[in-house]
Amino acid sequence: MSASTPRRRAVPRRGVTALGLAALAASVAAIVQGLVVMGPTENQGEYSRLLVVHPPLATVAYVAFGVTALASVLYLVPRTRRPSWDRLAGASAEIGVVFTALTLVTGSIWGHSTWGVWWTWDARLTAEALLLALFLGYLALRRVPAEEGVRARRCAIAALIAVLDVPVVHYATSWWRTLHQGSTISLTRPDKHLDAAHGVGLLLGFVAMTLIYAWLLIRRYRLEGLESRYEHEGLTLALDARRAEGGLAPAGPAPAADPVGALSPSGSLTRGPA
Amino acid sequence: MWRDAVLVAGKDLRIEARSRVATNQVAPFALLVLILFAFALDVDRGVLTKAAAGLYWVAVLFSALLAVQRSSAIEAADGARDQLRLSGLDPAGIFLGKVAAVAVQLLLLEVLLGVGVVVLYDASLRGVWLVVPTCIAATAGLAAAGTLYGSLAAGITVRETLLPLLLLPVAAPVLLAATKAWQAALDGTPADGAPWLRLLGVFAVVYLTFGVLAFGSLLEES
Amino acid sequence: MNDVLVGYGITFGVLALYAARVLRRGRALRRALEPIDVADGEADP
Repeated sequence: MSASTPRRRAVPRRGVTALGLAALAASVAAIVQGLVVMGPTENQGEYSRLLVVHPPLATVAYVAFGVTALASVLYLVPRTRRPSWDRLAGASAEIGVVFTALTLVTGSIWGHSTWGVWWTWDARLTAEALLLALFLGYLALRRVPAEEGVRARRCAIAALIAVLDVPVVHYATSWWRTLHQGSTISLTRPDKHLDAAHGVGLLLGFVAMTLIYAWLLIRRYRLEGLESRYEHEGLTLALDARRAEGGLAPAGPAPAADPVGALSPSGSLTRGPA
Repeated sequence: MWRDAVLVAGKDLRIEARSRVATNQVAPFALLVLILFAFALDVDRGVLTKAAAGLYWVAVLFSALLAVQRSSAIEAADGARDQLRLSGLDPAGIFLGKVAAVAVQLLLLEVLLGVGVVVLYDASLRGVWLVVPTCIAATAGLAAAGTLYGSLAAGITVRETLLPLLLLPVAAPVLLAATKAWQAALDGTPADGAPWLRLLGVFAVVYLTFGVLAFGSLLEES
Repeated sequence: MNDVLVGYGITFGVLALYAARVLRRGRALRRALEPIDVADGEADP
């Protein structure tokens, strides 16, 4: 977005704050439900409490990657091509990676309770691990510096290649662990009778995770926009700073000298020079 | 499109014939992988024989990585990419041609590795009519996905480390399915291998189709 | 039970840390871009 056009917000600032507060409230409710209200079950003891986090995390992770795929398609189609789709794809993918990693951690803990080992080759978990690898590759590709249009198109295609693999991975891993296996070792095979408290816990978990994802998505998407602007306009700022140091009048009002450090290689949220 | 494909395939294969990278480098590498497995696993040949199908396909996968790297490197040199784009060849044809060239090299490597596995791991290749289609389907899929990613990463300096990171997760289900299919053939229960073969076929079709549709977009980038 | 608490802790802890990181970086960038925004009349100096 150029500096001369007013920034339109898809979601008003107050709306985002409200969303964030809702997410926070839902999280608290879910945690309370999961740790206090829900009781242990006979099959899995205390570990059934993980029902509040693990399945919602897994589902939202898939949703996040679905959003990335959709945004990528919209970017590639010439009629709907806009940089905002590319930014949305990137933002959603990064959040998806976070959610997938958390899915694996909670799944590992849950599996440890039943099987005593930190990793069982459970079909769902293995599929999630591959999903993580797929989108870590996508994120790595995003960090490769290139002209913005080139980068966006490259990443969009990479996202679609990865997404096409997801159903294949799903079928392959589930056949792998069910064909000629005795019983399916499945973490998420629900207890025969989910009592009301557990049902509510699961629901609250889904609500909380969805709200968290939505809020994170908006903020991360905006961050992408800011990064992009900084890349384009940051050079002007740095030049002004140098001029100020040299005692010359700056071209504009005196800015802070590169406070963000984005023009030098820094943290991973920056697409720094290679 | 098909004529362009044959043209490009012929070009890539002729370059290969002249430079002999596949024969002099990739093939020995593939055999080396088989030997390394023997060091890594108990040479109580029971283990190697039992795992032969899986080890074979891991070796194929690593060789495919090299073949794909090579395939995309051909264009990266001397601005050949731009020439390819401006040549007026149908991008879908270029894609299919490159896929075919990689596939041919891979199939030859697979035959070599097959001999290696029989000799080194004492595997008995039964069920040829499951083994061969598996190789064809898996190769088609690997070549298609590999060529897509290879072209995508072609302009990038970190291509050598990025390409494996991109390709291996996508290729993982191919490894799984091909191993299972081969395992079924070697165990003498080929019926078990049928769903896996079908999965490989689907994978190949999906990525070949996607490549045909999207390759033009990939070439577009300067 | 400990494991479960660790699970909850990691989940919400990581999410909170990630959120904080996104917010912090956003704030820093917005501050850095302020001079340009002021010049455009979009932010108050």
